[in-house]
Amino acid sequence: MNWGRVKAIASRKFSSIRRDKRMFVFIVIMPAIQILLFGFAIGASPTDLEVITVGEHPVIDKLADSENLLISESNDLDDARAKVEAGEAWAVIEAENNSLIVHLDASNQQIMQTIMGEIRSALEETAPALPLEMAEPIHGEENPEFIDFLAPGIMVLVCFMFSVILTTMAFVGERNDGTLDRLFAAGVRPSEVLLGHLGAFSIILVGQVSVVIAIAVGVFDIPMEGSLILLFALGLLLGWAAMCLGLFLSTKAKSEFQAMQLVMPILFPVLLLSGILWPVEALPIILREISMVLPTTWASEAFRSIMMRGWGLSSPVIWQAFLVVFVFGILMLVAATKSLKVRS
Amino acid sequence: MNRRAWASPLDPPPSAVSMAISANALKRGYGKIRVLEDLDMSVEPGMIYGLLGPSGCGKTTLLNVILGFLIPESGEVVVLGNSPGTAASKVPGSAVGYSPQELALYLDLTIHETLLFHGRLHGMSNEEIMKREEWLVDFLDLPEPERQVGKLSGGQKRRVSLSVALLHEPELLLLDEPTVGVDPELRARIWKHLKTIAADGTTIVLTTHYIDEASKADRVGLMRDGRLLAEAAPKELMEKHQTTSLEEVFLSLCKREVKA
Repeated sequence: MNWGRVKAIASRKFSSIRRDKRMFVFIVIMPAIQILLFGFAIGASPTDLEVITVGEHPVIDKLADSENLLISESNDLDDARAKVEAGEAWAVIEAENNSLIVHLDASNQQIMQTIMGEIRSALEETAPALPLEMAEPIHGEENPEFIDFLAPGIMVLVCFMFSVILTTMAFVGERNDGTLDRLFAAGVRPSEVLLGHLGAFSIILVGQVSVVIAIAVGVFDIPMEGSLILLFALGLLLGWAAMCLGLFLSTKAKSEFQAMQLVMPILFPVLLLSGILWPVEALPIILREISMVLPTTWASEAFRSIMMRGWGLSSPVIWQAFLVVFVFGILMLVAATKSLKVRS
Repeated sequence: MNRRAWASPLDPPPSAVSMAISANALKRGYGKIRVLEDLDMSVEPGMIYGLLGPSGCGKTTLLNVILGFLIPESGEVVVLGNSPGTAASKVPGSAVGYSPQELALYLDLTIHETLLFHGRLHGMSNEEIMKREEWLVDFLDLPEPERQVGKLSGGQKRRVSLSVALLHEPELLLLDEPTVGVDPELRARIWKHLKTIAADGTTIVLTTHYIDEASKADRVGLMRDGRLLAEAAPKELMEKHQTTSLEEVFLSLCKREVKA
């Protein structure tokens, strides 16, 4: 390994990236936009849900204070039901004798659950004699929102996805314009080319991971129980492993179109099978097996555990995630070195 | 006229060991496609060797074998004393200067940065690079070193590409179509430069499909369908075939090929 050559390649690549303004926008602004969009679009509780009440009940009085529901009163049950039927309201809550009957539009599960949740908490407040009490949670907050579950996974997704996309294009141009051949003719080894690229991209990675963590913790106020440094370190390692994957894909792609075709079938399983949008525990057994070989599955769980549970490196969930992601990166780097042959 | 002592007719013919490049019964293809078939070639040190043939005849493939990028399926190739691409060989490496058919330049770098980058790959110090840069700018009549490569004209880019191959003063220059798409005036200038460098002892192999250009080389290899039909000094070939142009030599060799 000739480190002088690695350094020359890294600094050349870095100055190329720095000069390309579109590239700069892509690298810094896009991850920020992505995570902002995710944060605002997914996970918050729906508000202004039209609900009609019929009759008198302490729970109904309580519901009038709800932030999520927009309560209107009616005297006629049939008329109220007709409004739900026509899509003008989501539910009718009917007080009859001392109990409540709920007539729902259950076509939207998230909205239905929000309404039911509101009714349940109003019930708890008006009837404290309920034989059920929630102690303070061992991990997490008392009324967790979906975004608290989602955010760590999305952070993992953004760190991973942008690193892959960034590096997948790396060699496509250089292979076609002859510059890569010229390096090889000068005696540069594939491993030196790869390390040089990794070196240049790593500087960008630091910026990307910082932006992602800063927005999640700063803008969305996601709980942060554990060590920020540990979270940052895992984010960097994950981004590095994703770059190794991207570089490997790049050695296989002959055009930019091919590069994109290679990226798509990888990003989709990562999004769906890593426990980012939905718990891995809900997957069919075969898909769960696939999920276990994705580094993002381990990283999502570790991100969540650092942020929500405040776990540190001594916890198996955390150190195993570091190990799995590291091994994945090394495997990809070896594969890329083998694939970027000088001689054939 | 003879700048090489061993080129005198009294000396014994040079052996394969003293050859810059010698290839023997080379075979190489890509999958089922045959490209090089039983190719023999010999290039003496300090000569300009012109590889002439139509597009697709295997010139670039041959250069890639010489660089050690492609391993021959059979036959042997020795470049600067060793089999290229092996641990003992200086090729690929700093002994060779290579200019691919594409310009192979980073368009966002300036000329100075381009030379600095390639110089560092060859382990040159900044002072050495600066000294060579000064010389190359003068020798190849390059534009201002601070200009960005992507904004240069085609001919200027071509010369920058050549300057990268010359930067580290390699023993062997491999130039794939160095004058393609270049106007006649610039082509003449490039040839003048190449003659000067060869006179200083650098071996140059270049490919071309311009016949008039090949006739300026010290030795030409006429290539067709992956084989050398003939290999000699242009004058020698013309005398042997009793013509005044390489073109007719080429045509008569092709005819003979078809009859055989």
